[in-house]
Amino acid sequence: MAKTPKKSKSRLWFLVHSWLALPIWFFVLIVCFTGMLAVVSQEIVWLADPAVRANKPDGDAQRMTFQQVLDALHEAKPDMIVGGLSQPDGSHFAVKANVTLPDGTSPTLYVNPYTGAIQGKTPDFNFEAFTRALHGWWLVPFTNGYSWGWYLVSILGLPMLASLVTGLVVYKKFWKGFFKPVRTGHGSRIFWGDLHRLAGVWSIWFIAVISITGTWFLIQAILFDNHITLSSEKVVPVIAREQVPQTQDGSPAPRIDLDEAVRLAGLAIPGLEVSFVSLPSTAYSHINLSGPGWYPLMHQSAAVNPYTRTIDSQFLISDRSALEFVTESMRPLHTGDFGGLPIKLVWFFFGLVLTLMVFSGLLIWTKRTAQATAAALKRGERAPRNLPRETTVEVHS
Amino acid sequence: MSRAQTLTASPLKQAWLKWRFHLNILLILIPLGFMPKYFADAKLFRGEAGLGANIVRDIQVGPYSLDLAEMRDQEPQADGPAGFFKVFNAALCKACIQDVKATYLRIGKPRSLRAAGTIFFGAPYNMSTSLPIPPRTSPDAQIWITVEGWDGSMHQASVPLAQASPATVAWLKKQGGKK
Repeated sequence: MAKTPKKSKSRLWFLVHSWLALPIWFFVLIVCFTGMLAVVSQEIVWLADPAVRANKPDGDAQRMTFQQVLDALHEAKPDMIVGGLSQPDGSHFAVKANVTLPDGTSPTLYVNPYTGAIQGKTPDFNFEAFTRALHGWWLVPFTNGYSWGWYLVSILGLPMLASLVTGLVVYKKFWKGFFKPVRTGHGSRIFWGDLHRLAGVWSIWFIAVISITGTWFLIQAILFDNHITLSSEKVVPVIAREQVPQTQDGSPAPRIDLDEAVRLAGLAIPGLEVSFVSLPSTAYSHINLSGPGWYPLMHQSAAVNPYTRTIDSQFLISDRSALEFVTESMRPLHTGDFGGLPIKLVWFFFGLVLTLMVFSGLLIWTKRTAQATAAALKRGERAPRNLPRETTVEVHS
Repeated sequence: MSRAQTLTASPLKQAWLKWRFHLNILLILIPLGFMPKYFADAKLFRGEAGLGANIVRDIQVGPYSLDLAEMRDQEPQADGPAGFFKVFNAALCKACIQDVKATYLRIGKPRSLRAAGTIFFGAPYNMSTSLPIPPRTSPDAQIWITVEGWDGSMHQASVPLAQASPATVAWLKKQGGKK
């Protein structure tokens, strides 16, 4: 008697688990698949397009500094205006330059970090941006605050978390399942069931990470759309009018160069690594520098006044509140972008496993739950309060 | 689920059973439907769709000239408690890029350089600013462009709001009707 309610409860959990993703399984599948692609989209572009690679001309060539890259760009195209330079994470990537041409177009150029040569530009179909947009907000445009596509995708974090929990509840002694072989030759339902469980136990940590960080994206959008900020980062005021010199001949006031800005920032902030440089966007703007710090999940930044040579503002890892350590870690944990290629490959692999779990879950469902539920409903017509029985067949197998 | 069990023969349940898998199709149609918009926006942000909508060309501001356009032909967008904004783009004449320190935009004539309005940022070939539009702005207002030279000089010109952004004027008239 004591055992019966427990058992029926686990049957109920099993039904919940079976039905969680079902009516929208194809949507969930595509979101998992595009997420898996987005993790390595930069590497896919690197493989596909030689212009994105940082090829060394000969053995002892040195990497150029940001100012040297900027000078090379000015020399190649004197009319072009450079807005920012960045070195992607990984020395095998070319430097990216955001530029504006006299015709008003703003391409991103790939620049060889050893020679300064312009190797190419981001193609019109930007694979990285497209996979991220499809995965992140289902291509629904941002018009006022977060796009509703963002909500649609990020809310999947909740059923995913529920799938993990209910999956662990119905899989008795799941901790013994790490080395259970997948049975072949017993029909495809047994095969997919074994694979689903094996993949599931190995992915517990990954599903937890992805669903929790995914749910954070939902919270982030809700906070933003209600104008609530958790950030302790101060808004950098523009440079005061008095600090921007007037010139007698009407030519632009001299500013320090990028390397000097990096040097000054390095003196003020020991250990600052600079991988992004954005040039002043107005006469009253700073040179903004940013890059990774000792904590791999967050960036540090500094704003250098190009006229007075002072560091007018900085936002370091030590400036973060405890809450920001959690919230700011969410995005890199979701994307796997915090430890170079090895971590990305781990995220890619488990992204593939997760995609497979959705797929195998569906196969199992069509082969078992569909018939079982149909049968249960049929019985339900006769005795509506009875819980379906046949659905628990093979739960423990 | 309890509903499914208690209302076995209800039309609601039958509709759900029949249509639940079509939810997938609906969800897949969403990105397909937005794809043309996505690529059009990507083109717009790369500056390949031109400066914007309702371009006013060769506005003479003292010795300089510029083209002004609204980013999109649409009414001002709300940004929470900060109010309503319109993004405008501008392109300075090629010859004046070296001389111009800053360009500003404001509804109504600024009294001084310090109140010249919002500053344009980005490359002078295609710079942008987000202009606050108070809902009580008169529909026949002018938007004023202020250009500040590196030599300290200041030049001004104005364009009717109705010319630069007809959608904003239509929106203002609608707002006026409400108040």
